[in-house]
Amino acid sequence: MAKMSKLLSLVMTGTLALSLTACGGGSKTDEGSTSSNASGTSSNTTETVKEKNVTITFQNIYPDPTDPKNKLMNKLVKQYETDHPNIKIELDSLNTDQQKLKLKTQAASKEVPDITVVNPAAQMQPFVDAKLLAPLNDMLDQNGLKDTFQDGLLDWYSFDGNTYALPDGNNIGVVYYNKELFDKAGVKVPTTFEEMLDVVKTLKSQKIQPMAIGEKDSWTGSFLFMNMLLRTNNGPGFLKDVVDKKKTFDDPAFKEAVDAFENLVQAGAFQDGATSFDYNAGENLFKTGKAAMYYMGTWATGGIETSSVNGKVGVFKFPTINGKGNPDEFMLAPGSAFAISADSKHLDETKAFLNWFMINFPKEAFEAKGAVGIGQKVDGDFKAAGYSDMAMDVLGLFKDVKGGDLAFDNTMNPGTAQVHLTSIQNLFAQKKDATEVAKEHQAAFEANNK
Amino acid sequence: MNVLKVSRLTIAAFVLPCLIIYVGIVFVPIIVSMYSGLLDWNGIGESKFIGLENFRNLFFHDPVFWPSVRRTLMFAVFSMAEIPVALLVAILLKRYVRRPNFLVSSYFLPVILSVVVVGQLWKTIYNPASMGGMLNQVLTTIGLESWTHTWLTEPAVAMYSLYFVALWQYLGYHTLIQYTGILNVPEEIYEAARIDGAEGFTADRYITFPNIIPIFKISIVLAFIGSLQSFDMVMVMTGGGPAHATDVISTHMYNMSFLSMKYGYGSSIAAFLVVLCLAATFLINLIFSKLEKRFS
Repeated sequence: MAKMSKLLSLVMTGTLALSLTACGGGSKTDEGSTSSNASGTSSNTTETVKEKNVTITFQNIYPDPTDPKNKLMNKLVKQYETDHPNIKIELDSLNTDQQKLKLKTQAASKEVPDITVVNPAAQMQPFVDAKLLAPLNDMLDQNGLKDTFQDGLLDWYSFDGNTYALPDGNNIGVVYYNKELFDKAGVKVPTTFEEMLDVVKTLKSQKIQPMAIGEKDSWTGSFLFMNMLLRTNNGPGFLKDVVDKKKTFDDPAFKEAVDAFENLVQAGAFQDGATSFDYNAGENLFKTGKAAMYYMGTWATGGIETSSVNGKVGVFKFPTINGKGNPDEFMLAPGSAFAISADSKHLDETKAFLNWFMINFPKEAFEAKGAVGIGQKVDGDFKAAGYSDMAMDVLGLFKDVKGGDLAFDNTMNPGTAQVHLTSIQNLFAQKKDATEVAKEHQAAFEANNK
Repeated sequence: MNVLKVSRLTIAAFVLPCLIIYVGIVFVPIIVSMYSGLLDWNGIGESKFIGLENFRNLFFHDPVFWPSVRRTLMFAVFSMAEIPVALLVAILLKRYVRRPNFLVSSYFLPVILSVVVVGQLWKTIYNPASMGGMLNQVLTTIGLESWTHTWLTEPAVAMYSLYFVALWQYLGYHTLIQYTGILNVPEEIYEAARIDGAEGFTADRYITFPNIIPIFKISIVLAFIGSLQSFDMVMVMTGGGPAHATDVISTHMYNMSFLSMKYGYGSSIAAFLVVLCLAATFLINLIFSKLEKRFS
């Protein structure tokens, strides 16, 4: 009998422990849902009802405190919170890759933060198809926000007449070069791809690293490759033609681009072991003056300005290949963009905040010297505001832009894009016949577009 | 069981909470993930049930999958081959070093370092000589210039470079386990053996080894399962590149699930990995139960 009661007490203790933990968890979730319900109703009723406290989660990709965009975001958020005491904005700052991964995980469980970051065109399509993002048309019309964006830019973020995201940038692919190293080797800015190969060889013979790249992040090589394809195809739209089944990857233009790319690799343009350098490590080679050229989107301008090569750097357009293509056509990189969760509990407040944020974005970015390559129109004299000569050069290139192509992963679905990225990365490791590369691409395209 | 003098019911009562948590956070996700493996799903939108289609593609049409399985298994083989070496180091430490604690801790040091730190460290060592890579510079200095490689970016050597780092990191771990095992072998047995004329490696063959077979088994299982799941080191050092040359099962799974956004397909790879791990554990247990019988 004594044994029995002992056992009973044991079981009781066990269940008690269990129920305690269960209670703890339960009450927590209860709390969460009631508060969000309360604020949900407040946003639905008219604004005259005294504001309930609202917390907006703001996922962003500005984690670096030295980045001007991080500073301006903090400033704007603080100001908004002061003006609207009932609204609290919770920042979730992540670097680009982390954010992409986190959002996908959150999306799988339908827990997208109030404001998040998506990438244009094909990359955001799955989120739009899954109805995770709220259309922002109404909010764009408020306070004239729509007109602050550059013409046509919002098209990359629009599906079936609805705009789902607001870009923070609009960049182009350019070649940065180190003037000092160019002078030292006695080479000039190349105007054709053939000249560029000669420049590479001359630099190489003088033991100067011709180009830097961070090919562990395989989009970097793809971005450059796509610029070459833009030339050999004699204009933009190659991938679109493939999607529309007007062309295949077996097209001569594609194979010519592969050959040109391999020539560049074989000429020793890139640093040894390029595929183990991530984006930052690759860029650092250029920023520390160890490489003479660097192909990248103009978003790199700010970082180069704050590096040790500041003042020695110029930019040029990617040259023609075999006389084909127009240097005024660029790789276009409409930036990452802010989107609002369709299931946001405080949709109205979030829209109001983002509207205010984006309207103030260009002015603040201009003052923080971060306005090169933003997606909105900027009033102001860049030169007078103290922007560097390189920044002025970059802004000059923007004026020449006569169309271009988007990056591969913004045009094709993720499955095809991954095969492409790997295939291009492989060209750094071993020489491969262009026909083989084309075949690989076509097979992947067909397998992923059934 | 009877030795414990507690009823089975009590044991059940104590085990139950833990069991529930364990089932909840281990078995339920495995089942869910196996189910996802039957779906055509990008991870965020609508999903479609397609039966075994994913597995069919995986086994018959995926050019990356089988090579990645091969690399994973090679990884496991190398890791297991390391255990006898660790045992030898442990035996030598026990026999010839008077106060081996310092050495054991030094060997153990890499284990407590984060894989990211170890990965970055070795990335720098493996760098080409022009980028200050230590290994290549040493090779050049001692006149073995023809042996230099860009260790992490040549498809033929990249995977071996990764194996080596993993072996380097975990040698201390297994040495520690084996060393502790050896310490537990009673000294009297050795003394008795010495009288009978068994010393040195003969004693190890007939006394040390049979006595530490259970410890040996733990090391083998840990090494095997650990290398099947290897992910972080590959991600940090090569990301599976160049062009899948260093992809293992888990990195392939990650690429498919999150980068290619084929969540269903990724889940089918995960299911395969689970089955592989279970089968391997079962096999190792079988081999060792035979081994233990033979030696006891």
